Amino acid sequence: MRKSSGESLRKINNILHRDLGYFFAALIIAYSLSGIALNHVDDWNPDFIISKEEIKLNESYQKNDITPDLIKDFSAKVGENGYRLYDFPSSRQVKIYYKDATLMVNLQNGEALYEKISRRPLFYQVNVLHRNSVAWWKWISDVFAITLIIMTITGILMLRGSKGLSGRGKWLIAAGFVPPLIAIVIQQL
Amino acid sequence: MYRTIFLKARLITLFFFCLLWLGACTGQRKEPEEKQKRIEKKIGVLLISHGSHSETWRNTLFELENNVRDRILEKGKVSGTKSAFMEYTEPSIATRLKEFDQEGYSDVIIVPVLLTVSSHSFDDIPTIIGLKENPESIEMLKLENIERYTPQANVHIAPLLDFNEILQKNMLRRARQLSKNPEDEGLVLIGYGSEPYEKEWAELFNKAAEHVEEHTGIDEYTVGWCGHIVRYAPDSTTTAIKRILEKKNTAIVIPALVALDENFQVRIIGGGIEKIKDHKTRVRYKPDAILPDPEVEQWVVDITRQYSNNIFNEKAN
Repeated sequence: MRKSSGESLRKINNILHRDLGYFFAALIIAYSLSGIALNHVDDWNPDFIISKEEIKLNESYQKNDITPDLIKDFSAKVGENGYRLYDFPSSRQVKIYYKDATLMVNLQNGEALYEKISRRPLFYQVNVLHRNSVAWWKWISDVFAITLIIMTITGILMLRGSKGLSGRGKWLIAAGFVPPLIAIVIQQL
Repeated sequence: MYRTIFLKARLITLFFFCLLWLGACTGQRKEPEEKQKRIEKKIGVLLISHGSHSETWRNTLFELENNVRDRILEKGKVSGTKSAFMEYTEPSIATRLKEFDQEGYSDVIIVPVLLTVSSHSFDDIPTIIGLKENPESIEMLKLENIERYTPQANVHIAPLLDFNEILQKNMLRRARQLSKNPEDEGLVLIGYGSEPYEKEWAELFNKAAEHVEEHTGIDEYTVGWCGHIVRYAPDSTTTAIKRILEKKNTAIVIPALVALDENFQVRIIGGGIEKIKDHKTRVRYKPDAILPDPEVEQWVVDITRQYSNNIFNEKAN
């Protein structure tokens, strides 16, 4: 009797592990991709592709020289037919705004930087989830985090014998503690 | 016969007089209404700062508003003040502007409590309030879930804190507090920094440091950054201090940040100082900030008075 109740508990455990795994498979992959992308946020922009083009206007200008016609001339050099707005962040710079780009002109040396922004496919979308850019998503994210804990525990309890927790499982769990412990100890030094 | 015609003529004349009189009365009533509408200006002041996860940081900004509120309201031209944070926490800029609209404000003076030009001051805030549509800001705001809102009220943006000599005076006061023997000391200013406007930031900090040199006898200084420009790493602080310690016995480190945020003043700048071998004896540092500062408060009062006067003068003209 006791054996069969243990068996049924294990069966529930395995079903839970399997079905939660299926259900959250897409999200696990999305968060893992986003995690890798955001880990290297200092080295690249995981959300946007910002293409930069430097151009030389071969002339220097004063703030007072800037007219809408001149702004149109600057814009034409980067292939923009019109502009939305222009503004002066400082007396030596003018910034021109387009639909999905900007042109920052250094009036003193005539150097200009044209930046065009577009969303990085796939990474932008997974980062929206990971960053909780949709306000209510944090609750789903909490549920997902709790589910990951459940999946881990049910995974640990899944097998019996030499390949289960009492066998190689306990050693691998102990080994899994080593990398984070080393990192924490190094940080404390 | 004639009597009847005269009577009718008199009645018709009377009727027309009545019409004229009614018309005149209606016209007279209309004019003051329009005038009243023009006169009924309700001006609000919104102090906008960057925002932070640190409660200490946010409380300092709320305290700034508390300290200036009575002085701003006392002249009677401004009817209300509020504070808003650009990111991280409520109250957001959109939240506050909606409140101003619901309360019937006609004009809102925005006072950015920001040091000098940056993407936040030049692009992000104007994009949030609908004055600009910077493509990068639009995308970032969306990703960071920062609401954009174009208010019904007229918006007037005041200049940044670099508009006058606030930073110079503030740095001098704080350097004097830490200085013991100016000849042996060098000054290290640590600021947030900005990639696209690095030159403007460097100029502002150089001026502030030169002002301290001029009034204290400290004759060496360096500048380091702690913000996104250095990816929030403490290395720039360490390098700036090392450069001073090559020439001087002691480094006086001053964080030129608006308010105290433990992540910046303790973890990043403090962490940078700890990397200096003899930091306990050779580095003098107090993890404080520009605020609280009576000069900043007075500046907020003065600039809002100037703007509210302009709004009333515009209306009078």
